[in-house]
Amino acid sequence: MTTMMSKNSRRARTYAVALAAGALVLAGCSSGGGGSDPKDSNEPQMESQDITIGTAADSTGPAKDLAGAKKGGTVTVLQRDAFEHLDPGQIYVSDELIMQTLYNRTLTNYQFDDKTGKAKLVGDLATNTGKSSDGGRTWTYTLKDGLKYEDGSPITSRDVRQAVERLYAPYQTNGPTYLQQWLSGEGQKYRKALPDGPYKGKHLPKSVLDTPDDKTIVFHFDQPRAEVPFAVAMPNISAVPPSKDTKEKYDKAPLASGPYKIQNFKPGKGIQFVKNDHWDPKTDSIRHQYVDKFDVSFGHQWVDSTRRLQANKGADRNGMTWTNAVDPSQISTVLKDKEAMSRSLTETQPYVDVVSINTDRVKNKKVREAIAWAFPSGQYLQQFGGPKGGEIGGGLVGPTLKGYDPSFDPFQKKKYPGGNAKKAKQLLKEAGEENYELVYAYGNGDTHQDASVVVEQALERAGFKVQKKEIDQSTYYTQIGKVKNKFDLYRSSWGADWPSASTVVPPVYGGENVYDDSSNYSHLNVPSLNKEIGKVTRVSDLNQATSQWIKLSEKILTDEIPAVPTFYNRLFTLWGSGIGGVKFNSVYGAVDPTATFIK
Amino acid sequence: MTSPSQTGVVEKTAPAGTESEAPAGLAPRQLMWRRFTRDRTGVISACVVVFFFAVAVLAPVIAWLYGKDPYTTYGLDRPELLDPLTGYPMKPNGGIDGEFWFGIEPKLGRDVLTQLVYGIRTSLLIGLAATLLSTLTGIVIGVVAGYAGGRTDYFLGRLIDLLLSFPQQLFFVAFMPVVTALFVSPQKETPTYFRVTALVMVLWLLGWMQLARLLRGQVLSLREREFVEAARVTGASPWRIVRKELLPNLVTPILVQSTLMLPNFVTAEAALSFLGVGVVEPTPDWGRMFAKGANFYEGDITYMFFPGIAMVVFVVAFNLLGDSVRDAMDPKTTR
Repeated sequence: MTTMMSKNSRRARTYAVALAAGALVLAGCSSGGGGSDPKDSNEPQMESQDITIGTAADSTGPAKDLAGAKKGGTVTVLQRDAFEHLDPGQIYVSDELIMQTLYNRTLTNYQFDDKTGKAKLVGDLATNTGKSSDGGRTWTYTLKDGLKYEDGSPITSRDVRQAVERLYAPYQTNGPTYLQQWLSGEGQKYRKALPDGPYKGKHLPKSVLDTPDDKTIVFHFDQPRAEVPFAVAMPNISAVPPSKDTKEKYDKAPLASGPYKIQNFKPGKGIQFVKNDHWDPKTDSIRHQYVDKFDVSFGHQWVDSTRRLQANKGADRNGMTWTNAVDPSQISTVLKDKEAMSRSLTETQPYVDVVSINTDRVKNKKVREAIAWAFPSGQYLQQFGGPKGGEIGGGLVGPTLKGYDPSFDPFQKKKYPGGNAKKAKQLLKEAGEENYELVYAYGNGDTHQDASVVVEQALERAGFKVQKKEIDQSTYYTQIGKVKNKFDLYRSSWGADWPSASTVVPPVYGGENVYDDSSNYSHLNVPSLNKEIGKVTRVSDLNQATSQWIKLSEKILTDEIPAVPTFYNRLFTLWGSGIGGVKFNSVYGAVDPTATFIK
Repeated sequence: MTSPSQTGVVEKTAPAGTESEAPAGLAPRQLMWRRFTRDRTGVISACVVVFFFAVAVLAPVIAWLYGKDPYTTYGLDRPELLDPLTGYPMKPNGGIDGEFWFGIEPKLGRDVLTQLVYGIRTSLLIGLAATLLSTLTGIVIGVVAGYAGGRTDYFLGRLIDLLLSFPQQLFFVAFMPVVTALFVSPQKETPTYFRVTALVMVLWLLGWMQLARLLRGQVLSLREREFVEAARVTGASPWRIVRKELLPNLVTPILVQSTLMLPNFVTAEAALSFLGVGVVEPTPDWGRMFAKGANFYEGDITYMFFPGIAMVVFVVAFNLLGDSVRDAMDPKTTR
């Protein structure tokens, strides 16, 4: 999963901070400087989040009413990046992931406790999170009663089959691929099972995907799959009626199954969500339908949204943002504003920022180790907003994952915020590679330029020669995504799709994923590790698998050093004083609108 | 600047007079100097401008005396200087104290005074180079177009029209990556001298037209004057006519135009850096300080203060100087 930054990079969070910091600001005044009181900031506890699996009762609607919640009103939503995709099958960036929760229902979904914010996986279209049999090879889902689309037609199991099968069609290129791969083969092989999707009358064999009646869907896998309940919570495992499936055109006008439907989508400008009258609250234990309308407009830089929400005037009193953070340059102003702080949140996101080392070019492991020791993660994070922008990272998987070990920090990033140049120098000497030349590529934005200053400084202190290459921001991910790129070090970011390292280790460090535009930016392809990835994939017990994935990620980092972990992202954001029921969707790393109401 | 012996002998009625009314024994140049030294605004502006150039030239000396350099990230190396939460200086007013006279830069924690001094140096160097090149080009093309006339004039005129219609900053934004890809290996950092050269080239390429057009007009009218005709009749070569008859009469517009051109180039360079296509980190740059100041002003207005004031003072001083030079050389024009 990824936050949305540029057209070319769907997988990774890119320039959130940079673009915002690059925005020009015009007028205004403030008192200069002055240290802020660290007590003002409530950093989230670094507890790994435990997602519990909900029961059938948890999955039964309606969702519990919020105290003081009222019906009616319009919420204005300020977003920086325009939504490109509305088709649930094509959605994979964080702002679209959070947006689809309003109109798109999936087999399972996450429920966030109104008070504690704890996540619970419950059935959404399905009555529960799934029943496994045959040692985890078969998963059965039963649809709830009374499910309807916005046009009033009922949702059946054939619609879910359609939603899954259309993911095999060639035009479906942007969404997650877990379920398809588990059903029909690794990599892009699964597409061969149904080359045209369901559009030419063909379907997956009953031995793979079966719909014995209108309410039941059965998935058959060739090996135990413990994480199916999470995989079917991805937005693309939803329901699409075969008669209304307009293929590519569905991306502009999908049929809503959730409490809101789409009205007036203007690409690049904005979108409005209005009430879907055919949605029955009794079928939904996650969502509410308090607000009449969500009016989303795009193109609001972080500086702009922060200023408007902090000022809290006029229509902005009922304003919110789903993924815009407080701009790093305004953090101190907002921290000093007690009133604004009372309508803010700071939460850890599932995204982990790393600086990938191109292992095709930097083949010497000692040199990679020296880079990892020398890298100034603390000073680097300071450029991206400090403690409000993230937490210094020790390992390759983030604190939102189950089994995350906060004490794992093999390169002592927390102890040496500016890097350990002495140790790095010694390692370089041992390798006989003093004055090793590194090409450090970065996107040409303010924040990244600043970060390049500290990176260059720290690496040169450790005895490297640094060649800085600036890359145009809009093509950054295309350029570093080329397997034959000519760079040694470049930043990338990846978030777990659900709180298990199984959604991090194979896609980012698995050897079969070395191809152009893949998320394996380090080009790591070590046969022994690939074998181990395969082994852990076959572990059928969920808890055992999670801890083994974490162990494997630690092993990858200490043995191979494919990347330097830098920081775990945080979201620090505001909303208007007129809004209640705001919570945080910790799985997508965004503000959850499903319980929002106007006070 | 003003020598007391000269101010003493100034005649009271002279200002509106022509050269014939000047006291005997004074060359036009001396006269001009005398008029200029009487203009207090001009003198002060000249002092300011000289001061800026001195700062630029002496930047390393200033940094050495002051004991700081523009590259070290003091704030990151010494955690007590920057607030870890916001990245702004701990001390009020942008961290101004006995050690850091102009404060320290937020986030990276570099010294503002040396950044500014070195930044002025970068900007002035680029501005000056672009001014010199543009002035020379403007003179050559303007005089050739005006003197040759006919088809040459027509084509040069259309060239000027074409270049004038180019959006300079857009051109640069599009031009820079292409040139970089052409000349710099993808594995090497773009050298600073290369960026500076490219900046100067673009400013030059799109900066000489106004002067050329102005000079063309001047030459066009001078060409028909009696003294030029007389020179032609006596068999003077075109080169001699241009050099001896035309150019001395063009000194005023050239000087005035180029003194106005320099601050324009400096601000244009700053604007390009502000947009992120000029000089990049870690080379200190005046314009980039504005870009940063614009980001930081809500938390640290002081940071914007010093480069901002310096730029305003510089541009105003240079423009006033240009005006004074024009007044001194051509007293007939009234403001």
